[in-house]
Amino acid sequence: MPDILPRRRTLLASAATLPLLLATAGCRSSDVFTGPDPLAGRPRPAPDVITLAAVIAAEENLISLYRTALAGDSAATARSSDLPALLAQHEQHLTRLRARLIQPPGTATAAASPRPSAKPSAAAPARVTIARLCAAERASAAGLVRRLATVEPALAQLFASIAASDATHVTVLGG
Amino acid sequence: MGEITGVSALRAALAAEDAAIYGYGVAGAHLSGGRQAAAEQYWERHNKARDTLTAMIYALGAQPVTAQASYSLPFPVHDGTSAMALAAYIEDGVTRAYLGIVAVSDQRLRDFGALAMQNSAERAAYWRGSTQAFPGLAP
Repeated sequence: MPDILPRRRTLLASAATLPLLLATAGCRSSDVFTGPDPLAGRPRPAPDVITLAAVIAAEENLISLYRTALAGDSAATARSSDLPALLAQHEQHLTRLRARLIQPPGTATAAASPRPSAKPSAAAPARVTIARLCAAERASAAGLVRRLATVEPALAQLFASIAASDATHVTVLGG
Repeated sequence: MGEITGVSALRAALAAEDAAIYGYGVAGAHLSGGRQAAAEQYWERHNKARDTLTAMIYALGAQPVTAQASYSLPFPVHDGTSAMALAAYIEDGVTRAYLGIVAVSDQRLRDFGALAMQNSAERAAYWRGSTQAFPGLAP
């Protein structure tokens, strides 16, 4: 469509020359806009966001371990009748953690599915014992407490509450 | 909401511990065997926690709150089942109080509050017979 192409080319050419015009005028784009420099790329996530994303990933791994344990031989995983309830609580942890994370659309974290995949992650072992789950719960609780100092108060309280839940799971599992 | 200070949070936890000490005295009278032994053990732990919190408040240059002579029970306690329910209720309150300490800015107090929460949440789970997803927080 001949009428459209020239206008499109004109627009593209204008966009390409805007930085040049600004540069020759002796100003940066940030001089024109009052916010962050839009040409500087995506701003780095705040420390709280980085920490929260890491905690979410750890919770997802824990859920993966539980799913693997439940899918395994029930004779090898004594007290397996407790596992579904504990898994359900970890899924609640994940839901609430994800609700605290606000990311622009299209980022890797924001693109995560609402529920963890039914299949274990590629790194999950073929068989997970109760002892393995105990160790994972202890590590989760300890990791959350270590992160308390790095986040704002409300998030610290959520971390502490989840850590307390993890500690009770250790007791249930016989740890 | 104003900033939660270390002293105010510690006082709230101390008040919860004082209530727990009183409540376990009521609950223990209706328990027997292993449950009664657990109630006695937890009563001693609450006494120690009370002493620890009192010392921490003094160390911050403040005065601790005074325990009440008696506390209103949330429901009648007349048998083992209601006694265990009371014990779980008490521990939930203690967990909430220590969660308040986690909100202060001092890292050491945050760690202290978080670890204390784990202990009270475990005791609550013992009495309740089940765990919770978010001890101390609204569901």
